[in-house]
Amino acid sequence: MTQMAEETREGWALATFTIAFFIFLIAPILVVVAVSFTSVSYVSFPIQGFSLRWFWRIVEYRPFLDALGVTIQVAFLSTALAVLIGVPSALALVRSRGSFAEIAMTFLLSPLSMPMIVLGLALLFYLSALGLGISLISLVIAHTVIGLPYVVRTVAGVYRGMSPDLEESATMLGADRWQVLRYVTLPQVRPGVFAGALFSILISIDNLPISFFFGSPSTNTLPVVMLSYLEHQFDPSIAALSTVQMILALVGLLIIERFYGLRYLGAPT
Amino acid sequence: MPSLLFLAAFFIAPLFVILEMSFQEGRLPLEGAGVFQNYQRLFADTFYLGVIAETVGLSVVVTLVAVLMGYPVAYFMVRHASTRTYDLIVFLLIAPLLTSIIMRTFGWQVLLARRGLVNEALLALSLIDRPLGLLNSPLAIVVGLVHVLVPFMVLSIASVLQGIDRRLEESARILGAGKLQTFLRVTFPLSIDGVGTGAILVFMLANGSFVTLLLLGGGTLQTLPLLIYQQFNTTRDFPFAAAMSNALLVLAVICLYAQLRLIRRRGV
Repeated sequence: MTQMAEETREGWALATFTIAFFIFLIAPILVVVAVSFTSVSYVSFPIQGFSLRWFWRIVEYRPFLDALGVTIQVAFLSTALAVLIGVPSALALVRSRGSFAEIAMTFLLSPLSMPMIVLGLALLFYLSALGLGISLISLVIAHTVIGLPYVVRTVAGVYRGMSPDLEESATMLGADRWQVLRYVTLPQVRPGVFAGALFSILISIDNLPISFFFGSPSTNTLPVVMLSYLEHQFDPSIAALSTVQMILALVGLLIIERFYGLRYLGAPT
Repeated sequence: MPSLLFLAAFFIAPLFVILEMSFQEGRLPLEGAGVFQNYQRLFADTFYLGVIAETVGLSVVVTLVAVLMGYPVAYFMVRHASTRTYDLIVFLLIAPLLTSIIMRTFGWQVLLARRGLVNEALLALSLIDRPLGLLNSPLAIVVGLVHVLVPFMVLSIASVLQGIDRRLEESARILGAGKLQTFLRVTFPLSIDGVGTGAILVFMLANGSFVTLLLLGGGTLQTLPLLIYQQFNTTRDFPFAAAMSNALLVLAVICLYAQLRLIRRRGV
């Protein structure tokens, strides 16, 4: 009986702590959302008045719009490239045994562990030496390096959890390797490809430490423009822009959840 | 495999380029010094040694705070939460990861401002009698970094807690161990791999961060990434920036090695 009471008391204490923890986690985000609806031109909380003027400011401020275009292009192109080269590797490595497969997998995931600022600096000098310099192509290459591990990890995660029985049955029934891939394997790992791609897009859109090395009026991504804006001005337009970005990312997260579940995304393994 | 070639060309090769560059003469060439002069400057100057110490020190503090804050939440979600609450917690942990780093830093700038919500609350509770300068301080940096990184810690710890055989704890209780003793002698040691995985990850990410320091620190802490950013933006001493990058890279490789050893030990 006392043990039960002890258990309940522990539960309540931990629940209280968890609630406080989530207030800490969510409060700064909610504050930004609130500030984006203010009607005055300075940042204050609680907000004064209610207006949508800062959302209009996003559309009116030219660098924001230009950067949005660059950001979307880079995100989709780099993700397409990462899927194109990452999915075959993930499929091949999961079904092969031996130390090579293990090393190759570690290697494919290793960009995740590199400090991005180092990667950005290194890529800038390297791509400049190759004659690509500060360009959209350079940005796409750099973002592919960081998107690739996410695609490989999610696809490998799904494929590992699949039983090889279906593929073997298809082979026994006379399907050649391409038919097995086309009609059995790919349809089954599609949720993984989809989630990995979406994650790679989101990572690309939010990337700052690499993108800022490749900054120029025609290659600035949204975070780069937002950072330089924040360094000079402190007005609610950044809040409005962040809010829009967050809503888009949340929609993405809900889509991942519907098709795939969140299991593989959060836990770093 | 094209992806291996791609990474060899655009991930490994650039790191060699930056290694080569770090051996070139920098902005302040030392008389008679050899190819290691940028490293000599980095490791002989007390200012730069201080920077390296601050980089590592900050990451250690952030990691410790993240463990202390993350463990109870992980414990709650695994041991006490219903399935629905569990799913909600996972969602609430992951959702902030998808908001931009700029948004979260901006949020803390608003909350920690001189007339911000935190100061107003402390004033209202009469805990202080005039607003504190919370922004542009090491405290603001730690708060900002913990906020960004603590979800990784919770998820790592929770995934290991889930696998602990609860009969071990019950046995300890039956054999007369108290609640706290059971936790300290049984549960915590069994979950140490999750704490380790989370700690390495948080430490690694904290080491490389600079946006938080730039916007919340106001120059009160100088770390390697921040200095690389400044070298690139203002001083433009690229060989020296390359040397600092390599120092940071060595730290990252040590972490990566520790991470791999831990994963192998868990037998994943």
